[in-house]
Amino acid sequence: MDLHNLLKALSEAPGPSGREDATRDVIADLWRPLVDDLRTDRMGSLIGHKRGTGKSGSPPSIMAAAHMDEIGLVVTGIEGEFVRIHSLSGMDRRTVLGAEVGVHTRHVHTRHVESDEASGYRVLPGVIGSRPPHVLPASERQNIPPWHELFVDLGLTADEVQQWVQVGDHVTIQQPLITLRNGRIAGKALDNRASVAALTMALDSLSRRQHEWDFFAVATVQEESGIKGAITSAYGVAPTLAVALDVTFAKQHNDNDPGSFELDKGPTLGVGPNFHPELVSRLRQAAEAEEIAFTIEPLPGSSGTDAWGIQLVREGIPVGLISIPVRYMHQPVETAALRDVERAGRWLASFVATLEPDYRPRWEDEL
Amino acid sequence: MDFTLLDTLTQTFGPSGYEEEIRAAIESIIEPMADEVRTDRLGSLIGVRAGTGADGQRKKLLLAAHMDEIGLMVTHIEKNGFVRFTTIGGVRPVNCIGGRARFANGVGGTISVEYREDSSKLPEIAHLYMDVGATGREDCPVTVGSTAVFVGPLIQQGTRLISKTLDDRIGCYVLIEVMRRLQHSKYDVFFAFTTQEEITLSGARTAAYRIDPDLAISVDVTTTGDVPKALPMEVSLGKGPAIKVKDSGMIAHPLIRDLLTQAAEQADVPYQLEILLGGSTDAAAMQLVRSGIPSGCLSVPCRYVHTPAEMVDANDVENAIELLLTLLSAS
Repeated sequence: MDLHNLLKALSEAPGPSGREDATRDVIADLWRPLVDDLRTDRMGSLIGHKRGTGKSGSPPSIMAAAHMDEIGLVVTGIEGEFVRIHSLSGMDRRTVLGAEVGVHTRHVHTRHVESDEASGYRVLPGVIGSRPPHVLPASERQNIPPWHELFVDLGLTADEVQQWVQVGDHVTIQQPLITLRNGRIAGKALDNRASVAALTMALDSLSRRQHEWDFFAVATVQEESGIKGAITSAYGVAPTLAVALDVTFAKQHNDNDPGSFELDKGPTLGVGPNFHPELVSRLRQAAEAEEIAFTIEPLPGSSGTDAWGIQLVREGIPVGLISIPVRYMHQPVETAALRDVERAGRWLASFVATLEPDYRPRWEDEL
Repeated sequence: MDFTLLDTLTQTFGPSGYEEEIRAAIESIIEPMADEVRTDRLGSLIGVRAGTGADGQRKKLLLAAHMDEIGLMVTHIEKNGFVRFTTIGGVRPVNCIGGRARFANGVGGTISVEYREDSSKLPEIAHLYMDVGATGREDCPVTVGSTAVFVGPLIQQGTRLISKTLDDRIGCYVLIEVMRRLQHSKYDVFFAFTTQEEITLSGARTAAYRIDPDLAISVDVTTTGDVPKALPMEVSLGKGPAIKVKDSGMIAHPLIRDLLTQAAEQADVPYQLEILLGGSTDAAAMQLVRSGIPSGCLSVPCRYVHTPAEMVDANDVENAIELLLTLLSAS
């Protein structure tokens, strides 16, 4: 499995929160040969089930969750030939000026169009421009325009825009994944497709090694719009324990605060109230046994990841978090090290493969 | 428009957590229309209408409108009888000043603001007080913990309706009218009048857990972009009910959105697509219940939401009812 190609396919697939279909299709094709059962749950999360060799009727199970949705934009209005937009989930206004985008039209049930191309779906290319600096008053030159002054130009006439676009259409950033030197890559949606790639690598690895526990790989929806798919998929899977995979802040030239981590020095392991301490120490042992480089990431409150949602599902699910450092998070040029992605996948697979049938993360005084 | 019904709904007391009166009022109205009526453990009122298909084959559809309203709660009574209070739900202090409040026991009060050096800034809730006519703690007719709601009678001018608490008694009105007119449905329809939406969405969350529906639709109000200097928003009063795409708490399930859109087309009623940048509804909670419930929202456009004088258009209300009837009656 070529990691670079895998990441390219995942990064470039469109999958804004709430409309993850296209990305789910890419992942489903990747996972289908690697799992015993593949299904999509009611919220849209993709669940791949790989049975363990444990012989009892209901073996313990581990769920590994990586969200597949990406930050995106949504059409909020049409003004002549221009399309007004707003953040759909987590989009930074600073990063959309000058961006190339795709407007995902859905005309299936609108009355504007009698008959559309069979599916009614198309991706219209567009750009988000703004006023040239020459004509901006000095007072506005330092400001980022508010959302209601940001528009997509599709090169269409006002009539064509009326015909094709409607309020609620999703808009995604179009950005090919590029390869930097030293095994680094840059592109959109590495938050969190880098983790989906790691999860896919883990599935690939587990297809070639024995594991006693049932393994559920879950590509969750709507993390960027409030950690939603993780909560509902964990309810459905009801795993014995869970590990979330996400990205974390990598150190960059202007940001070296203690909450960021070196690129290419390994994934991080979350520590804090979101995580079961016994599970954390077990994950740590797994990394050390495989000589996988990692850093401890203290997270004193909410981790802001799927782990935060999973922890409170049903009667509570012990959860851990492995994060891949990424620079320029929520920008179209998120930058990661291939080696960190590979390490995260190998770490997860090794952890799963070493779980004994009777292992349970316990509190010392738990009965 | 059944003015009397809407008058009863908007004027009956029921701030979040204290929905007894409004629940009793709605219960007596829907009792003859439902196969079964029950109140769940957090106080939501559920009216059930069984569908037409074979047992075990029918899908369960949950329609939710919240019956609680924003309000005020007494936190402290001063020595000279003035009442200090906090908010229940999203009450903006500036909308209270000069207004009246009414307590469950009928006591009324006028709300004012204390003298401030810099009156150009918006007041905070701590600057407000209520005068209920008391002269001291002894003769004060309310106590710490007493709850009050705004006073704002229902009036109709042309097709426009003005009242307190159209959020979300207009949704309750829509549910009741749908229940009254519905002949038959392939769905088992659960009409839920939910509690505590304005503070935590708790009533819808727990009602949906118990009902475990296949799909859920909330009926609530949304704001508009058609007033002076409004933030751009493609929703106007009188242009039809709004089918939610997104609000600050949820992204509507695309299939529910399509179901609502198709029903609007079929019923030939105008509709609008809604993106609400601030605020959310019961659907945001129902969506996350159990392993996830495909959820959406049908909104009645409303100006001046969370003030004592909210405004909706009667045509939008009627069209929302028609849309839902078409959706529920579809074969």
